[in-house]
Amino acid sequence: MDSPKVLKDNKRKIRVEFERTSLAERLKAKYLTTNFLVQVIWKIFRLLLLIGISYIIIFPFFVKIFGSFMSRDDLVDATVRLIPKYPTLDTYKYIIRENSYFTAFFNTFVLSTLCALVQTLICSIVGYGLAKFKFRGNKLVFMAVILTMIVPHDTVKLSMYMNFKFFDVFGIVGGISNLFNLEASSLDLINTYWPLFILSLGGIAFKNGLYIFMMRQFFKGVPDELEEAAYIDGENTFGTFVKIILPISVPMMITIFLFAFSWQWTDNFYTDLFFTQSGAILMPRIVKVPSSLSDDSFTAKTLYESCIKNTCGLLIILPLMLFYSYMQRYLIQGIERSGIVG
Amino acid sequence: MNADATVKVATAKQTKKKKPASLDRKKARAGWWFVLPFVVVFIAVYIPIIFDSIRFSFHELEIQSSGGYDLIYIGLDNYTEALFVDSGYVTTLISGLKQLVLDIPAIVIFSLFMAIMLNDKMPGRTLFRAIFFIPVILSTGIIDSIDQSNSMMDYMGSTEGISTGAEGSQTTANEIISAMDIQKLFANMKVGQGLVEYVVGLVNDIYNIVNRSGVQMLIFLAGLQSINPAIYESCRIDGASAWETFWKITFPMISPMILVNTVYTVIDSFTSESNQVMSYIDNIYKSAANGQVLSSAMSWMYFLIVVIMIALVAGLLSMYIFYQRRD
Repeated sequence: MDSPKVLKDNKRKIRVEFERTSLAERLKAKYLTTNFLVQVIWKIFRLLLLIGISYIIIFPFFVKIFGSFMSRDDLVDATVRLIPKYPTLDTYKYIIRENSYFTAFFNTFVLSTLCALVQTLICSIVGYGLAKFKFRGNKLVFMAVILTMIVPHDTVKLSMYMNFKFFDVFGIVGGISNLFNLEASSLDLINTYWPLFILSLGGIAFKNGLYIFMMRQFFKGVPDELEEAAYIDGENTFGTFVKIILPISVPMMITIFLFAFSWQWTDNFYTDLFFTQSGAILMPRIVKVPSSLSDDSFTAKTLYESCIKNTCGLLIILPLMLFYSYMQRYLIQGIERSGIVG
Repeated sequence: MNADATVKVATAKQTKKKKPASLDRKKARAGWWFVLPFVVVFIAVYIPIIFDSIRFSFHELEIQSSGGYDLIYIGLDNYTEALFVDSGYVTTLISGLKQLVLDIPAIVIFSLFMAIMLNDKMPGRTLFRAIFFIPVILSTGIIDSIDQSNSMMDYMGSTEGISTGAEGSQTTANEIISAMDIQKLFANMKVGQGLVEYVVGLVNDIYNIVNRSGVQMLIFLAGLQSINPAIYESCRIDGASAWETFWKITFPMISPMILVNTVYTVIDSFTSESNQVMSYIDNIYKSAANGQVLSSAMSWMYFLIVVIMIALVAGLLSMYIFYQRRD
């Protein structure tokens, strides 16, 4: 190829003339390579796979939503597949009315918010202590955190129940009641919010080990210079934590809060364990067939009851769905910033 | 004058040496204050719970009508009953452990694969991410337990099969692929029957696997985000293909996460409703005579076996893990 020729129009403007390869050839060079082909195939494959798996995740929710509007006629009608022919709101109506949905909603909301707030705060504090201070026993405490994480809660179910039914820390409660000549030698904390609150307060409630682990990894990524600058300015450790560290860890704390709130919201292990039939009505209790809808003579009884239970499930997660749609970007941001890798 | 100066220097040195030490000690004490809430509740509440749970597994439990309970020491009876008398425990335990061993690689590989896909820049990434993490938030606890016995899903699934014309195969219509198709596909490839069945089982179980790999995906995503893009760039300049880049860069860099996720998958399976050992134990807890303490013994055995298994796997994996040295 000749070297480009420079033509001067005037002082300010120049024109350059050179031979360009034709457009067709340029396009050929760009798009007719194996590399490009592989890229295109990969992109199509990726898109299809992502759509397919999204379908697998979302489809059950659609089935549940359609099912929740089905009346009995739809269930025995063989021509009805997904979209009900005779839609009805009865299922919702009776669940809300007879299973005391709003009471459960309110109680669970109070409990979840309280627990999630406490857990987020405590896990941040403990995670910070584990990440930034090299005290003797640090490793031991961390091992204890891991222990609370790996011991399955089914294993300690009975003893957890017993310990809160007859709550007595090192005989202190018994000692106090002896002092006042009371009969009870221990406190019965079943059917109160206290067991969950105490567990949250210590950061050993459901999955709290994971939260502490996540916060610890996050704080390890925070440069020490930040705190050193604050120390030099005369701030003490706790002041530094509150004024410097907490504000920068808000995204991560939102992530933890999101986890803690939603897992507490749908939790049925601890709520079933600590709340008997006479206790506060919480979300797991509304999963049952309302008496006006139960009918033993109905032919598709199992199917119908399954529909009703799924509708209960939908009602339970409805607030979570709204919550999640607002918060999901924080979830991913928080995780990405945390650098769990350490 | 001269001597004075040296003295001054010496004291300065001394204070210099002393000061960081005292600051460290101060910091160490502050560290204890930070972990105090955990330590207090751990010692006051959690240790007794763990201790009691172990103690109960060696006892017979009698709840008194006046409140309170009696424990009668019976030694290893609960354990021998679980192992030799109870009809279902050992078989459930073995099949549960087998299931766990098969599930772990599936979940870890699936979540790694998905994390890599969700990490690429593409249109709609935020939407896909939002969808993929729905199960983490929504399909837990109550919803999980409703899903476990969900005749509605089966019904809808099977009607779908009918509508696509597969009337004769109602039993398999709910499965995404049937073993027969895959067998035809692999017939010439000389892959063992077991592997085919494993793959088919996984594909049909995809809903369960997707539901259980949410947190793992998040952990892998965080790991992928922390890899320095400059490494990929230099790789590309040197002419490495995507395949080579994955095995030479991504995989070693992400290998610590593989260990973390393996352990997390096991821990998570303890609380999953689809865990057959736990549901068996739960059943015993509710129904069998003396089932409450018997179930403690059973779950402690299960827990110990799994912990030994985790330790073995973690030890094996940690030999191959590549830790990048920072700075």
